[in-house]
Amino acid sequence: MWKYISKRLAQGLIVLLIVSSLGFIIFQFLGDPVTAMAGQYATQAELAEVRHALGLDQPIYIQYFNFINNAVHGNFGMSYMARLPAAEIVFQRLPASIELALAAEVIAIFFGVTFGVLVAAFPRSAFSKFIAFGALFGVSLPSFAVGISLILVFAVIFPILPPLGRGELVELPWGWQTGFLTLDGLKHLILPAFTLGMLQLSLLFRLTRSGMQEALRSDYIRTARAKGLGHISVLFKHALRNVLIPVVTIIGLQFGQLIGFSIVTESIFQWPGTGNLLLAAIFDSDFPIIASYIILIATLVVLLNTIVDITYAFLNPRIRYD
Amino acid sequence: MRKIPFLTLLAAGAIASFTPLTNVHAAGISVGVPADVQTMEPNGASTDSNLSVMANIFDGLLQRDASGKLIPALAESWERVDALTWRFKLRQGVKFQNGNDFTADDVIFSFKRIATPELSAFVNFGKQIESVTTVDGDPWTVEVKTVVPVPFFDQNLHQIFMMDKESTENRKPGDVGQHPIGTGAYSLAEWVKGSHVKLKANPNYWEGAPEIKEATIRPAVEGSTAMASIMSGTVDVLQGVPVEGVKVLEKNPKLTLVKRPARRAIFLGLTNAKGKPGADLRVREAIAHAINEEKIIQKVMFGFAAPAAQVSDPATVGYNPAIKRAKYDPELSRKLLAEAGYPNGFDITLSGPNNRYVNDEKILAAVAADLAKVGIKVKVDAKPKSIIFDEYKQHKPEFYLLGWFDGSYDFGRSFAKLLHTYDETKGTGTWNAANYSNPELDAIAEKASNTIDPKERAKVLQELGVKLQDAFGFIPLHYQMDLYAITNAKGFDFKPRPDTWIVFKQIGKKG
Repeated sequence: MWKYISKRLAQGLIVLLIVSSLGFIIFQFLGDPVTAMAGQYATQAELAEVRHALGLDQPIYIQYFNFINNAVHGNFGMSYMARLPAAEIVFQRLPASIELALAAEVIAIFFGVTFGVLVAAFPRSAFSKFIAFGALFGVSLPSFAVGISLILVFAVIFPILPPLGRGELVELPWGWQTGFLTLDGLKHLILPAFTLGMLQLSLLFRLTRSGMQEALRSDYIRTARAKGLGHISVLFKHALRNVLIPVVTIIGLQFGQLIGFSIVTESIFQWPGTGNLLLAAIFDSDFPIIASYIILIATLVVLLNTIVDITYAFLNPRIRYD
Repeated sequence: MRKIPFLTLLAAGAIASFTPLTNVHAAGISVGVPADVQTMEPNGASTDSNLSVMANIFDGLLQRDASGKLIPALAESWERVDALTWRFKLRQGVKFQNGNDFTADDVIFSFKRIATPELSAFVNFGKQIESVTTVDGDPWTVEVKTVVPVPFFDQNLHQIFMMDKESTENRKPGDVGQHPIGTGAYSLAEWVKGSHVKLKANPNYWEGAPEIKEATIRPAVEGSTAMASIMSGTVDVLQGVPVEGVKVLEKNPKLTLVKRPARRAIFLGLTNAKGKPGADLRVREAIAHAINEEKIIQKVMFGFAAPAAQVSDPATVGYNPAIKRAKYDPELSRKLLAEAGYPNGFDITLSGPNNRYVNDEKILAAVAADLAKVGIKVKVDAKPKSIIFDEYKQHKPEFYLLGWFDGSYDFGRSFAKLLHTYDETKGTGTWNAANYSNPELDAIAEKASNTIDPKERAKVLQELGVKLQDAFGFIPLHYQMDLYAITNAKGFDFKPRPDTWIVFKQIGKKG
């Protein structure tokens, strides 16, 4: 097991190296941050001075080497625009993204799995047809369309939910600001979490439904029914359990994506998370922020994938990593 | 196992009841702005969105009233002693928000600091300062000597903010950039990055405590988000109403829509290098007459732009109301092209940004379509600002679109950057993207720099404007329009400033 974990972490490091060098190559085409930093009146000599102060006048491979060297020592440089340590800025914005992803995940699991079970159990009801139709929308509609429609309906036409921001926050230890603990914070969470969770909700729904349809036809279910077990018990205790294994895998794998791909949702709802930060940083060619973000998200995804693989082995003892 | 989450929740709930960070329902004003706040380093960003916030927390030696007029702030009076020397009489008895006194040492420190590339977006201005000293043993009179004559020195001082020497030196730059200490009418109460900035009134402000006690600045970058924020009442004032959304907001009886011409003008520049079509004055004139600006304003800008005849706006020193636009006349345009030896037109590439100005890429397309009608075949090269402006600074384009307004309200400074012959050692022509060069214009600009009397100087700059127009140095298109939506219910008396800064001490309550 330990051998497997260390192997996975080593692979993760290689992924990080590749991702960071890709980021570096992209940065060369992002444009020049120096103009915005020095102000529009700066002369070429002053621009050169700023460029030198940032080390941007050196050849690309030296810049990359310095970047990796500093990163290993925990220094991701100063944000060009904020003139503050980049990693600190990204970390300050991370709680917002993680909470949004968690909320989206919970919504997706709750509605996705419940609807999946119900629709498989009662395929002919009007409710099932409606849900199946809705799921098609959930898969095919881009999140900006979902988000804007939700804002229009629930914030503008019926002003019951706020359209933007995170609302009232509470400071937890280690500077983690949470919106989970206030009513206002939860209200702000609903629309963006639904928007972000919609795609995964639809995927989980379809996965659960097809799994359940398969399971409900199998012999052990018939046996359970024949024993006289209740309908609910058969559905959730017997059938769903067997369906859950692939569902759990998907949930784990997609959590990283929920954090990484929340950019669109965050920008629609002006959610103060990392996605919004990345977008602004790309516009401003603020490379230290972009690099910190890429490394942080890549680390998260690698860690999550490793954890999923390990949990999988615990869930199903037949799987071994040697 | 089951009890742990419950207990955790309980504990967390207890923390929650003691430390609420924000209260959205508190009295005060909430403003939606189109760009996020970048830094609390007062001169660390030169964007108006950032300066706007800083102007509430900090003061400059001078400030601008709501109409854009330069008035005293931390300096009670000022004068230009000679070409290189400026003298300021400082205001006494002003305190920083940490209780420290404002003194000449803070002025000296702040001026030095803006020359530091790591901390300042006003490096160019900072480097023009030779020395800052007190005069004749009077600790309240400060003299600034510049390296070269800087005729607009005072015009820039509303955006050079004064910092507390003692507390700034004793903190790390990272801390200074997050926890500002100024002399301004408001102090920073809370900054949740990416979400909002909350300010609270400074009760000891030297002008007297401001009327509005609490102000929240909320970026709403996406157009649809901005619309939702004002329509749902999340913000009381929305700056930067998207032009596509104006019709919807106009119909809303709860809102008032306010528009004013922006300072920024959008214009075209064209090379006059030997052998290029633009070297012939008739070609330049032909292009000016070929562009149907009325149509661009109606179709591309939805009516929210005003035609421009020059690059400077009425608030700028050197603006000349006598200058008129070349009128739309494609017939004349074709005739001029034929006379210049281009009866069948020519091919040219028009460069421009696609994410910088309102509908910039569509403006480029409209210009290309208009020029095609007189035979000039234009290839549009639209790229993101961070890439295209880099090409501008390397003087790659031959024909380009640019938007400009002068933060220091000085046409002489604009000209030196935009159209003066490029000269790296003198620092002129940095933004002269197509390397236009006209020695006659350069000479007038230099004459203006050496004229000390402000009235005389304004006249020389106005003359420069006329000569520039005659030479078709630029082909001006339009001024953008600043659009605001204001909620009626709370009765805020809000007048937009020309520089788009939102200065809360200047906002009153009606009635």
